[in-house]
This record gives sequence, C-alpha cells and structure tokens, in this order.
Amino acid sequence: MNLAEQIKHLIKKELLLEWRSKYALNGVLLYVVSTVFVCFLSFVSTDKVTLNALFWIIMLFASINAVSKSFLQESRGRQVYIYTIASPLALIISKTIYNALLMMVLTVIALGFYILVFDFGPEDLGLYMVAALLGSLSFSTIFTMVSAIASKAGNGGMLMAILSFPIIIPVLVVLIKLTKNAMDGLDRSVSLDEIGLLLIINALVMSVSVLLFPYLWRD
Amino acid sequence: MSMYKNWWKVLGAILVIYSTVAGFLMKTPELPIIRESIRNLYFHVPMWFSMIILFSISVFYSIKSLRSNDPADDIKAVESVNAGVIFGLLGIVTGAIWAKFTWGQAWSFDVKQNFAAIAILLYFAYLVLRNAIDEEQRRAKISAIYNIFAFPIMVVLLFVLPRLSDSLHPGNGGNPGFNAYDLDSRMRMVFYPACLGWILIGCWIYNLLYRLRDLERNKLSK
Amino acid sequence: MKKFTVTFLMFLSTLQLFAQGSGSTITDSLYASDKIYVVVACVLLILLGLLFFLFTIEKRLKKLEKK
Repeated sequence: MNLAEQIKHLIKKELLLEWRSKYALNGVLLYVVSTVFVCFLSFVSTDKVTLNALFWIIMLFASINAVSKSFLQESRGRQVYIYTIASPLALIISKTIYNALLMMVLTVIALGFYILVFDFGPEDLGLYMVAALLGSLSFSTIFTMVSAIASKAGNGGMLMAILSFPIIIPVLVVLIKLTKNAMDGLDRSVSLDEIGLLLIINALVMSVSVLLFPYLWRD
Repeated sequence: MSMYKNWWKVLGAILVIYSTVAGFLMKTPELPIIRESIRNLYFHVPMWFSMIILFSISVFYSIKSLRSNDPADDIKAVESVNAGVIFGLLGIVTGAIWAKFTWGQAWSFDVKQNFAAIAILLYFAYLVLRNAIDEEQRRAKISAIYNIFAFPIMVVLLFVLPRLSDSLHPGNGGNPGFNAYDLDSRMRMVFYPACLGWILIGCWIYNLLYRLRDLERNKLSK
Repeated sequence: MKKFTVTFLMFLSTLQLFAQGSGSTITDSLYASDKIYVVVACVLLILLGLLFFLFTIEKRLKKLEKK
C-alpha cells in the first residue's frame, strides 16, 4: 500500500472508532460547555479582551484533553498491531489530520456556544473563524507530536501538560493577538503577519514531526 | 575547537577580563534615564548569546545522538542544556535588576522578558522529561526528539515574536534600534569581544560539565 | 595562534589610546550617577553564578574521589 492509501485507511479507522464510542467528541463538548457555563456564572461582568483570552484558555485545555488521547489511550497491543501494518509516516500524518478535523469541529461548536452564552460578537466574524480554524490546526499538530512523546516516555497526563505548555505559548500569544484584531474589526491586512506566522509555525512543526516520528515510533 | 586544547579557553578568559575592565572604564554615550547603566550591555546581553549558542550545541548533539545512538552525544546534549540554563537564569536576573532601575519594575511584562522566561521553561521541561524516564537508551532517544522538536519553537519565541509587538527593549516594536546606543564605535569594541568571550566561557563550562559527567559514568560502570 | 596573539595585543594597545584620549573617565562618570551600581550588582551576580557553578563541580568531584 502506498502512503496516501495508508493515511486514508488510518483516518477512516480513527473516524470509525470515534463514531462508535463518540467518547472524544461528547466528552470534550461536555467539558467545553460546562466550563463556559461555569465561567458565565462566576464572571459578573467582563470586557471583551478578557472574554477572548478566556475562550482560548478553555480551548487550550479542551484540546489537550481531546488530542492527548490519540496516543496516550491506545493500548500497547493495538500500537504493536498498527506498527506491523502501517508506516510511521502514515501514522503521524493520519493522526494529525484526524485530530485537526476533530478540533476544528469542536472549536466551531464551542465558538457558537460561547457567542450564544456570552453575547460575544466579534466585529469581523469571518476573520475570527479563520483564526479559530488556524488555532485548532496548530493545537492539533503540536499536541499530537507531544502526546506521542509523552506516551513513549511512560507517564502520561502530567508529562503531557509540562511538555506542551512552553511549546504552545507562542502559538497562543499570536492567536490571541489575531483574534483581538478580529474582535476590534481592524482591517484584514493588519492581521496578515499573524496569519503568516501561524502558517509558518504549523509548517515547521509538521515537518519536524514527520522527520522525527519514525525515530520515536520504532522501539 | 578541540575539547582539551587550552587556547580558546585562554582567549575566552582574556576577552571577558578585557570587556569587564573596558566596560567599566571606557566612555559611553550620554543617555537619559539609562545613564551609566548602559554599561550593563556588556554583561547582560552576552548571557543571552551564550545561552542561545549552548542550546544550539545541545540540538546539534541531540540530532547526532538520534543518528548514532552514542550515549556520549546524549550526555553532551544534556550538559550543554545545563550550562545554557545557568546562563539563561543569569540573563534573567541581571535583566530584572537592570529593569528595576531603568523601567521601574523588576518584571515589567516586557515581551522579551516573558518569552525568555518561557524559553527557559522549555528547557526545564526537557530536563523534567529526562528525569521521568529510567531506561538510559529510551531516555536518550525521547529527550533528543523533544529537544529537536522544541528548538524551532524557541527560535520563533526569541527572534520572531518580539518583533511583532512593542517592547521596552531596543530594536523591537516602536523603539529605536540597537544602533542608537551602539553608534559609538568604542562601545562596539567592547560589546563584540564581550559576547565572544562569554560564549567561549559558556562552552568551557559545558565542557567541564560534560567531562565530569563522563568520568562519573565510567566510574559507575566499573 | 601566535599571529592571533599579536593582533590581539595590537588591538588592545589601540584601545589604550582611546582610553587615554577620553581623560579621567572615572571621575567624570563612574561616580557621577547612581546607576553605575546597577552594573556592579549585575557583574557581582554573574560572579556569584560562576562561583556557585564552581561549588557544584567541587561537590561532584569530591564524590568521585571518594569512590
């Protein structure tokens, strides 16, 4: 089987598994909804800048939970089985694509709910959506690789947080800046720098993970 | 640059001594607010350069250790991180002192300050990751992978992001460039040797740490 | 190596000329403003850092010698 076909099969497998249990989608959605609600109840009045930052912090934790399961929750047996039938390259690419899809769906739903609850209307909704999609893409590329590292290192959740926070902070900073531009309805040409930077970070992270994952995967 | 040769260590020592003496005695341009503390340029900034060079050395050896599986390369990678962290901490604390007397606050949430702190956190995470794995070979492999993975992010953090936002540091955002201070060619004559000298001293420290660790390992295996 | 030393010494001697040219820099500026203590504090801190590093090396070496 060539690479593209392997990737397609592996993504199908992930989607099928997810469709059967609906664990990640429901679990993380419930998490997002309840966190948004808790925030709504605890903040009496907030300005838009805080709300924007809050949205990304909620999404950060949601995506850590959603994406970390991609490697951490796979049993040893299943890992060995996949190892024998698929190339590591196909595995990392398919996991990243699947996670990106999952995160994009989650982010869009969460954003809709957030706007509904907080009456939080960005001036430039189109740009905000672009930022949200780029954000979920970056979260998934970075967290997929970090969760692979954490799962190989043995002790899962704790390590995942320690390893991923310093890496995700630059992305988060750019994202918050970009979405703030979108909220204030600035001219779109102002935000081109941030969009370009996010794309570059994603390309860098993706190529480094594709290069490194084969070393990580073979034991 | 052989590890056991002495000339570059002597060179580093001479450059650092020279830059310290000249740094205190040479005339500097008259600047408001910063005043004489501009001389900190010769001490605070080289800390960061040494840190960046040491972290780059560490990535170089991480790549090498992934290819060779040689434990010596792995030790080189971790010891250069250790030396780099020393310089990073010195850079942060000297920066905080300087900031206290020129910007009024030790931690003024300047972008460069924040991002430098995060970059050091990144390497603390690397060290924590190493402690979490017991088996030597797996530790070498996994930590090397994390180190290489994190390096491009550190470059973005330290070199790209500060340019996108306003900073109190010169050369960023709306501030005048570094050259505004540096126009004085005499300052340049101290600043460049200071950087080279401290980088060499940093390499020396890394070198000592590596040789010590190597000895410890040999003793243990006997 | 030899060439390098010579160049460096010449370099130093030119700097000497500069220092003489600027006259009594110490009295002019070193004590002229309080901010010079900031530099002293920073240099002291770097020295302390290096000394701390020396002590850690000392401790590890002692352990090695005991074995």
